Formats: sequence, structure tokens, C-alpha cells
Amino acid sequence: MSSVELPQAARIHLPGETGVWVFILGDMLMFALLFAVFIYYRSQDVGLFAGSQLTLNQTFGAFNTLLLLSSSWFVALGINAARKSLGKISARYFAATFCCALAFVVVKVFEYGEKFNAGIAITTNDFYMYYFMLTGIHLIHVVIGMGVLTFLWHTARSAELNEKNINVLESGASFWHMVDILWIVLFALFYLLR
Amino acid sequence: MDAMSVSRITWVWFALILATGLSWQFGHGFGFGEKFHYATVAILIITFIKVRFVFLDFMELRTAPLSLRLAFEAWAVLVCGTLIFLYWSGI
Amino acid sequence: MNKTSQLICAWCAIPFAIFFTIGIWPLAGFMPPLSPDLSALEIATIYRENTLPIRTGALIMMSTSGFMCAFLAVIAVQMRRIEGRFDVLTIAQISSGTVGVVAFIVATVAWTAAAFRPERSPELIQLLNDIGWIYFLMTFSTFVVQDFVVGFAILGDKNAEPIFPRWLGYYNLWVGVTFIPGGLLTFFKTGPFAWDGLFVWWVPFIVFFSWYVVMFVMLRRAIIAQSEQPLTS
Repeated sequence: MSSVELPQAARIHLPGETGVWVFILGDMLMFALLFAVFIYYRSQDVGLFAGSQLTLNQTFGAFNTLLLLSSSWFVALGINAARKSLGKISARYFAATFCCALAFVVVKVFEYGEKFNAGIAITTNDFYMYYFMLTGIHLIHVVIGMGVLTFLWHTARSAELNEKNINVLESGASFWHMVDILWIVLFALFYLLR
Repeated sequence: MDAMSVSRITWVWFALILATGLSWQFGHGFGFGEKFHYATVAILIITFIKVRFVFLDFMELRTAPLSLRLAFEAWAVLVCGTLIFLYWSGI
Repeated sequence: MNKTSQLICAWCAIPFAIFFTIGIWPLAGFMPPLSPDLSALEIATIYRENTLPIRTGALIMMSTSGFMCAFLAVIAVQMRRIEGRFDVLTIAQISSGTVGVVAFIVATVAWTAAAFRPERSPELIQLLNDIGWIYFLMTFSTFVVQDFVVGFAILGDKNAEPIFPRWLGYYNLWVGVTFIPGGLLTFFKTGPFAWDGLFVWWVPFIVFFSWYVVMFVMLRRAIIAQSEQPLTS
């Protein structure tokens, strides 16, 4: 496979503009701290964290992971379509991504609702503090990302797909991939860890 | 960019879904039985392999300037290592 | 153009960052912050034993907080060069930044009030101390708005030669995001989301003051570039 790809790999290309990577790296630094703090406090009180974790709905978590992985895939396909000047198709992929993001938010609302109905809140214990804080901060990123995706959809649909506009699309796509990556880690930390 | 790379993206997506399924199984006692500490380490490693694939193929860091690619690879390695270390120190 | 006045206003960031840090850290001894988990008597004891340093520290913090206003003005002047006549983001920056200054001033007033009569009952000293810290750290929303409008203005720059580099716009958006957890201090007395925790105190504090330094450097550059343009008056 690599021999087929060599001509492409030789071409160095920075997706999106430089500045957006400042934001992405800064945000990932912040989340790295959040992950480390969570697992540090978990290691201080494994019993409480592992016990509380059993009450989480793993199906919701796994379903949301599939949604975000697929959304990232759609975004990547949308960028490829835009590079071939297929603006309408590209926009359709971004719309599909938006639907995945919306479904993610809906699932999260049900998940939070389930917890609140069971009398569990952010102050219940340390595990739920981290659960609500980290997934909440991530959810803010998803909502911001839905705004970005709307912008990508609009740009792909109505603008001429020149190099500059494709660069704009790549910037937004990179942000969305970051949202996906952060969730991949959160899913493992909160739902799968034992 | 061409049909080749589109299908690569799709394969990566498929592999990511499979890896999610595998880590789900590890999280439910598959493979490691009672030694769930090893299962957790396996889950964390799979997670960051997934992260690396999203970096390289979805974010297209495979063809990005080397310094940027290295920054993200370093992030994945450092965060994964730190998490495993902190997890292990708590057993 | 008024290059000198602009530069003076931009330089205000430096005494603000230095003296505010001196006031809150070595003088008042609020670094690390007084834990929200301390009892009323423990808080009162701290205020009774350090009355003079806390009063002096608060006075220095108060004295330097005004410098932020001049700094806001020079950010606004350079943002106006981006936006032109209908400079809504510039105005949003001034109004949100000004309310941010108020938060600093009220916090300082509350700490001063607590140290003003340290002999009063511990519960009241604790109350004033709480009000000070909550004013200081929970007021994230105006800072988030301020950073976001600066970020959006920079990213929307249509000038042939942009006033600021685009990465500064993304940097401002990131700074805004790091302040968001601040509001959560209302739920916690211990841990990383309490007001002496990593994500309410340390990260925002370091990011906030590094923002002043970064903005100062970039503003200074923009002002000098503006003065070298022959057409602007």
C-alpha cells in the first residue's frame, strides 16, 4: 500500500491555516491535563470511581463513539469531495456530519436526564464531578463544532471551491476531528476502564 | 484526492469501528479474564492507536509538515504513557 | 496618529501584570488561594495574623486594576482599524472588558473589607472572603466574551495587510475556552474545580497573565506598523 502512496506522501501539505493548529494544540493540552487529573484522582480512590462507573450507561457511550467516528469519516469524505470541486456532494457530507453531531447531543441529553432522574448530580461524588465536567466541556465543543459544520456546509454549497475556500474547509474539518479524538479518549476513560 | 485515498479513509473508519468493538470486549472481560488491569492497559493502548489513526488519516497529518506531525504524535504518546502510569500507580 | 499615547496605553499591561501579581502573591499571600474548605475560624485567623500584608496587597491590586482600562482602550483602537465604522466587536470588547475590571475591583474591595475590621466575628470575615474569591474567579463570562470578540475580529480582518496575525485570533479563542470551567467553583470546596483548584485557579491565572504579555507584544507591533504607514493620520 505504501508504495502506491509514495507520490502523495512526498507532497507536504498543511491542512487548514496555521493559526487553527495553535487553537487545536492548546485545547488538546488543556484536555490532556483534564484526563491526567481524572485518572490521578481515580487512582486515589479506585473503589468509589469503579463503583460509580457501573451506573453509567455504556450503550449510550458506545453509540456516541460510533456517531463521532462516523462524523469524522463524513468530514474527511466531504473534504475529498471539495478538492474534486464537487461542492454539492461535499455539502451533503457536511450535512451528514451535522446530523451525527445533533444525534450525539440528543443521546447526551437523554444520558444526563437518566442520571438526574436517578438523583445523581455533579455534586454526588468525585466520579460524577469529573464525568459531568469533562463530558460537559466536551459537549460545549460539540455545540461549537455544530456551528463550524453549518459554516462548512454553507461554504461548500455556495462558494466557489478555490484553494482559499478549501483551506477554510480544512480548518473547520481539523477542529471537528479534534472533537472526535477527545471523545475517543473520554469514552475509554469513563465507560471502559476497569 | 483520488479513488485510492477515499477508499483508504473508508478502511480507516472501518478499522476504527472494529477497534471500538474490540476495546468494548476488553472492557467486558474478554481475553484477559480476571486480569482486568491488563485489559485496561490494552484498552488505553487501543484508544491511542485509534487517536493516532484519526491524526494521520482524517486530520491528514501523515502529509503535514513534520514538526506538526511530531507534535501530535508526541501528544498521543505522552498522554497515553501518563494515563497508563497513573492508572498503574493506583492499583 | 497618536503613536505615543497608544504605546503608553499598551505598556500599561506590564505594570498591571507585575504589580497585581506582587499584590496578590508575596503581599496578600493569596498564592495558592485560601482554600474554600477552611473553616470560618481558620479564615479569620489568617486575616487577623496578616492584616497589614492583606490590606497593602489589596491596595496594590486596586491601584493597578485601573491600568486594565487603558489597555482595553488600545485594544479597541487597533480593533477599530480592522472593523471600520460599524465596530460592534470593538464596543463589545470595551464593555465586556470593563465589567471584567469591575470584578477585579469588587474582589479587592471585599478582601479589604474583611481585613478592615479583623476583630469582627469569623463568620462575617469568611463571608467577605468568599465574596472576594467568587467575584474574582467566577466572573468568567465577560472574559470569555472579551476574548471571543477579539478573536473573531482578528479572524475577520479584511485588510490587505492584516493588523494582527491570524494565529492571535485563534489564540484568543483558546484563551476564552480555558476560562469556561471557572463558573463551576460554585459546586466545589475541594478538588481541581474548587476556586483553589487547577482548572479554576492555576490554568486561568497563568493563561490570563500570559494573555496580557502576548497581547502587549502584538499591540506594540501593530502600533509601530501603523505609525510607519504614510496614509494613516
